[in-house]
Amino acid sequence: MAANIWRHWKPRESSMSDIVQLNNVVKEYALGKTVVRALRGVSLTLARGEFIAVAGPSGSGKTTLLNLIGCVDKATSGTVTLDGAETNTLDDHALTELRLHKLGFVFQSFNLIQVLNVYQNVEFPILLQGTSTGGERHRMVEEIIDRVGLKEYLRHRPNELSGGQRQRVAIARALVGKPMVVLADEPTGNLDSKTGQSIIDLMKQMNREEQTTFIFSTHDPRVMEQAQRVIELVDGQITANGAQPAKA
Amino acid sequence: MARFRIMRLLALRNLLSHKVSSAIVGGIIVFGTFLVVLGTSILDTIDEAMARGITASLAGHLQVYSADAQDDLALFGGGFMGNAEIGTIPDFAVVRKKLEAIDNVEAVIPMGMSLHTDVPASELDLAITRLRQAVATGDPGEIDSLAQQIRDMAADIEEEQNKTRAIARKEEQVRIDERLEILRRVRSEAFWQALSRTPEEELTYLDGKLAPLSLEGEMLWMRNLGTDLDRFAERFDRFELVAGELVPTGRRGLLLAERFCEDQLKNKVARDLDQIFTAVTERGQKIAQDPETKDKARRLPGQYRRVTYDISPEDAALIVERLAPLVGVGKNIEETIKTLLTVTDENLAAHHKAFYEQVAPHIRLYKAKVGDTLTLRSYTKSGYIKSLNVRIWGIYRFKSLEKSDLAGAQNLLDIVSFRELYGIMTKEKQEELSAIRKEVGAAAVNRDDAEAMLFGGGDALETRAQQTDMDDAEIFGADGALAVARAESDGFDPTQVDQGLALNAAVILKDPDRLDETRAQIAAVSKAEGLNLQVVDWQQASGIVGQLIIVIRIVLYVAIFIIFLVALAIINNSMVMATLERIDEIGTMRALGAQRSFVMGVFLLETLILGAFAGLVGAVAGAAVVGLLGHAGIPAPNDIMIFVFSGPRLFPAVGASNVIFALAVIFLVSLASTFYPARIAARISPVVAMQSKE
Repeated sequence: MAANIWRHWKPRESSMSDIVQLNNVVKEYALGKTVVRALRGVSLTLARGEFIAVAGPSGSGKTTLLNLIGCVDKATSGTVTLDGAETNTLDDHALTELRLHKLGFVFQSFNLIQVLNVYQNVEFPILLQGTSTGGERHRMVEEIIDRVGLKEYLRHRPNELSGGQRQRVAIARALVGKPMVVLADEPTGNLDSKTGQSIIDLMKQMNREEQTTFIFSTHDPRVMEQAQRVIELVDGQITANGAQPAKA
Repeated sequence: MARFRIMRLLALRNLLSHKVSSAIVGGIIVFGTFLVVLGTSILDTIDEAMARGITASLAGHLQVYSADAQDDLALFGGGFMGNAEIGTIPDFAVVRKKLEAIDNVEAVIPMGMSLHTDVPASELDLAITRLRQAVATGDPGEIDSLAQQIRDMAADIEEEQNKTRAIARKEEQVRIDERLEILRRVRSEAFWQALSRTPEEELTYLDGKLAPLSLEGEMLWMRNLGTDLDRFAERFDRFELVAGELVPTGRRGLLLAERFCEDQLKNKVARDLDQIFTAVTERGQKIAQDPETKDKARRLPGQYRRVTYDISPEDAALIVERLAPLVGVGKNIEETIKTLLTVTDENLAAHHKAFYEQVAPHIRLYKAKVGDTLTLRSYTKSGYIKSLNVRIWGIYRFKSLEKSDLAGAQNLLDIVSFRELYGIMTKEKQEELSAIRKEVGAAAVNRDDAEAMLFGGGDALETRAQQTDMDDAEIFGADGALAVARAESDGFDPTQVDQGLALNAAVILKDPDRLDETRAQIAAVSKAEGLNLQVVDWQQASGIVGQLIIVIRIVLYVAIFIIFLVALAIINNSMVMATLERIDEIGTMRALGAQRSFVMGVFLLETLILGAFAGLVGAVAGAAVVGLLGHAGIPAPNDIMIFVFSGPRLFPAVGASNVIFALAVIFLVSLASTFYPARIAARISPVVAMQSKE
């Protein structure tokens, strides 16, 4: 991929449509006695409605980047700002609220709650939000499940579903609370390519219809090329950040 | 609400999907609750039973005694056994009047417990007395048979003394030699030939020299409770007359406790035989196996003399004849009785029956019986011995406590006699009294006047006593000093029962549920009126055994505590395991926006649901078992338990408080045991959800 020209890319000035900003973010982990620098000065801006892939080999820092954007972890230095809130200054409770109301998650291993059925799994985030009435919730849950094509499976438990179906449930769960950003960590990683493609198609469709920002990590080139923008990470640094040269 | 619904759903689903650990934790909780319900139900029932038994038999609901007491009041054992110093209530009439004015007080009954002794006649004494009668009536056959009986007894005593001499010190041997000399003389032909010539001389010798050597005739200790006998019988529901009659109003008298008769007055052989019989028939023991019973049975035949001494030669012939089919033909009375007393598991029933049918009617089965007069002796506070003859009018027991030695240890004595036997006198008072005596001419006081003087029969002497500021107790002490061994009048003025000293008093309430309130009222009245009383409830008053229930309760609570401590550790451990198993799930929920409190809530709810369910199962099981026990009754294994159960069987019942207590404990244990794992769970980072897994 011809990405070297992006090496000295500077972040744009923030605009109204920018919902996530990373400014010179460093993230270090203690691994035994050594310190691993997972991110080494990453700056990045995500705008509303983007459909972004984070690419890079294993250990390049993709997941760490998503963790920071997803407010499940804090930067060692630099700032991460989500919808105007600087995450480093927030406590666990506030970060949790931020995740609940502004973010949606899709995981590589689907991470559905095994003891709940499809309906209950999807209902979970809006139950936690507690802002909707029972009737509203019912409508929202049924609608989103219908849109991911699992209307017939409302009462099924996760272990009664295929991998693709489970990931569809996960996407429904991520979207039901109307988040600003959906983070997906290797969403097709555990799926065969045909099913993976259908998941990407679903995400694209949701991105289009809801104007929800999607950011997903992947090392599958076929997935990558469907993104509007690809952020390439190598050894904790962005090596490429730009719109797909060809098809968009 | 919606959030709680999902918490509950999660908790329930988690419980169902971790069946093994749920079953283990649930099982422990079921067991714990079961135990709490069962244990506290039984204890509460015992409490109630004891309350009924003790309050209705001796203690009343409350007891009052002097605030100056050095020892605690202990009606059933404790220091009181040895004449504890519990002070005195100098003027019972005032106390009764003031306390019965309190609205919840039904009755106040005076009491005073004291140890008295009596020396019942020995078999030898009786034989000598019968010999004297035979000599007087000139019945040669009777004289001969009694002579033989006395010589046999002397031979037994001689054998005993010889054994003692072998191990005695030198100085002691001299004394024993003197006794042996007496015994040799009594056994000699010459002595009995002399009897026909100078009967009085020989009889006096037997009375004065031989009788004191008797192996029996040991001192009998009696715990006598001096009280208002009329009101005692009326107010204590459990009181029941077994034989004889109540002591008529205004008469001196003793009502013996049935247990006292059985344990202290009964012929020892009969008593031992009874004990073996009870052990085998009621407790299902085997003579051949149970060491205690075996030992008792082994020693029984050797005590045949305790029976044969009592049997006259004519009766002996009859008994030998009647028992021949059972013990064999051609035996003399000693061999017959010896064989009869040789009991085994096989022959016990037959021998026991034969003993009571053929032998018992011919012996003195009890050392004293209704109608007898006992000479009670007491050591008064000032150290002299006071004696009083008191007639036995009847035998009583406390209903359902028939078999409890503790409850049946005290005989009832009219309080007037008790006061006379009690006697307090210091040296100063003695002098003061002799001055009074001089003044009123005590030397000329005859018995009836003394009576009037002592009990304030409106005589001028009473005024005198009041002027010198003396209380009744001192007057009674004076009585002892005046006439230690005078013949007693059998009657007294009934109004004297209230007038004078008591050691303590039982307070019976109209509404026992207001016990604490009334106790406070009594304390207040005592303070206001200067009665100088302290008030204790029946449980405190009953002494060590009464407080046994408190010990049992502590033991149960410690056991419950330990069980729940273990439960706590196991639940804690199992929840920590569950937490570790569910790291991904918890991380996911956290990532999706669940607060720490939500995660903790799910965990707490899980144990609470399990606790509530298992707790209810345990409580129902406990209640069911208590119900079964309440139907069948728990048999009391020994005397103390009969007392504690207030009867031979306890019929436990479950109260709402037992169940509520058990569930409250479970609630706390559940919360406590989940707190730590819930905290761990809450600290799980949402990052774990993002870590890729294959």
